[in-house]
Amino acid sequence: MSSSAQHPLVPLARPPRAVPPPRPELTRARECLISGTAEGLARHLGVSTGLVRAMFIALTVLSGAGVLLYVWCWVFTPWEPGKSAPSRKAPVAWVLLAVGALLELIMLQQLGTGYMLGVYLPDLGVDGSMPMLLDLGILLLGPVVLLVGAALWADLIDRIDPTRGPRQAGVVRGIAVVLLVVMVVAMVARPTGPVLLLAPFAGLLAMFASSLMHRWRELSGERVRRIREEQRSEMAAHLHDSVLQTLALIQNRAGASSEAARLARAQERELRAWLYDGDAPADSDLPTDLRDYAGALELDYPVHIDVVSAGLSTERASGELAAAAREAMLNAARHAGGEVSVYIEGSTSGVDVFIRDRGAGFDLDEVPGDRLGVRQSIIGRMRRAGGSGTVRSDENGTEVHLRIAGAPLRSEDA
Amino acid sequence: MSDSIRVVIVDDHSIFRSGLRADLDETVEVVGEAADVPSAIATIREKMPDVVLLDVHLPGGAGADATGGESVIRGSAPTTARFLALSVSDAAEDVVRVIRAGARGYITKGSSGVEVSKAVHAVAGGDAVFSPRLAGFVLDAFGAVAGETAAVDDELDRLSAREQEVMRLIARGYAYKEVAAELFISIKTVETHVSAVLRKLQLSSRHELTVWASERRLL
Repeated sequence: MSSSAQHPLVPLARPPRAVPPPRPELTRARECLISGTAEGLARHLGVSTGLVRAMFIALTVLSGAGVLLYVWCWVFTPWEPGKSAPSRKAPVAWVLLAVGALLELIMLQQLGTGYMLGVYLPDLGVDGSMPMLLDLGILLLGPVVLLVGAALWADLIDRIDPTRGPRQAGVVRGIAVVLLVVMVVAMVARPTGPVLLLAPFAGLLAMFASSLMHRWRELSGERVRRIREEQRSEMAAHLHDSVLQTLALIQNRAGASSEAARLARAQERELRAWLYDGDAPADSDLPTDLRDYAGALELDYPVHIDVVSAGLSTERASGELAAAAREAMLNAARHAGGEVSVYIEGSTSGVDVFIRDRGAGFDLDEVPGDRLGVRQSIIGRMRRAGGSGTVRSDENGTEVHLRIAGAPLRSEDA
Repeated sequence: MSDSIRVVIVDDHSIFRSGLRADLDETVEVVGEAADVPSAIATIREKMPDVVLLDVHLPGGAGADATGGESVIRGSAPTTARFLALSVSDAAEDVVRVIRAGARGYITKGSSGVEVSKAVHAVAGGDAVFSPRLAGFVLDAFGAVAGETAAVDDELDRLSAREQEVMRLIARGYAYKEVAAELFISIKTVETHVSAVLRKLQLSSRHELTVWASERRLL
């Protein structure tokens, strides 16, 4: 129903605005008293929460219409978008439990006396055993329903609430079970109809069923996870046996630096990452970063880069060391090609990176001054970062050694 | 025994076997092939090769967690053959297990025929074949990076200073010859050090070996 249609019918207390702003969506608040229904409705209608609550209570007096409306709104209103678990301010489970316990006390006191809530039943013109049984049954149902309701609320709704959780659920359920058992014992001890015993038993059963439902849900979730894991490892085994072998063979037969071999190697790397590292968190530490960069270089240049790492590196991928190492790898791929070895060693005293190629080599002193690659991007960068960079080159290839000490790095981090 | 090296290839992929057979140079003679554990053991008994090129993963291995390659080495136990493990992208755990079972080294299946032939020669001569990755793994697993150094040479759980130097250079991509030149020692000495490291890798009870292996992948 649009808001404009309401205007002629419902006189509003405030003067109607010319252009009403769009109403907030009808959603239930995650920070709520009981279910967030009243809060959500109030927000949507632009009135105070208290007013909406008062309306529900007032309607309840009209033969329970308010309760029905409340439940209807509750069921059909979604939670407002967000990730946090809903947190309820009202201790609904405890209130239900307390009221249930109180009713049970009254009931137990008057069990078999002919009184109901302090009124002598025969006074009301109720006599004979059958009607009395019926009334007692209704009296019995009150505490049973409340106790079961408390236990179910604590178990199914409050369990995910971070401020309550499974511990509260256990306590509430324990108290509810004890109260029901007391009820059964009291009823057996006094002369009541055996049919009435069904009520507390049904209550106990309902509580038990809710915990069974939990187990079942957990079990089926576990099963789905296991099946997924099995399928994944089966697939990994199959791909390992077929595709990876073929890719290795292609590289082998096509020659190290041919286009086909490079493509096969890139594919192999991708597949392997998917097969084995899929679950691992994508941490961007130095070895992982340089490995990724090596993969990218292999696609662009006829080069085969082998990245080996030892020790644990505290060095970040964004650091100067990584930038210098990437520059050195790029130089090796561009000028030398063929086989390039990268070795990263991280220890407590510092991090070392070696980049070695098998190219023709060059003389650092003969590199013209306007070429900034080696002098600025590698050696200069390392010196500015407080480390060192050395380049050793002869006819058998070039090796760049980058080193950064561990101690100053840590004080910089702190 | 003729002057060429007699080799048996054990791999469950016929396409890979034929590819490797074609790629090996003429100093290596392929005398047999096998596709699973029982036939591999039978072939090795019958042909008595110098070197067995052994896939890490094979069907027909004994036990659920055996990799197959391991079972072949244990199954053909009294043999003069030396084993060289081949792997595609196996977990370090599996490669280390095959080496601990007695393989003299491992190379990747992506290696060229020339590289494989070279490795076969090295293994046939009694040397160990260490890839940069395996060297990095060894440095890690024996605590060399953390600064642990063996006080005496025959200590099994740590590497001596010289062994660490050799391993570090291999991890940096140096060939044995280059390692020798760098450290001013002979190639024979380098090979001795590498063999000593291989022996430690096979015999050490250092618990990190298995922990590292299961956490990391060599390839």
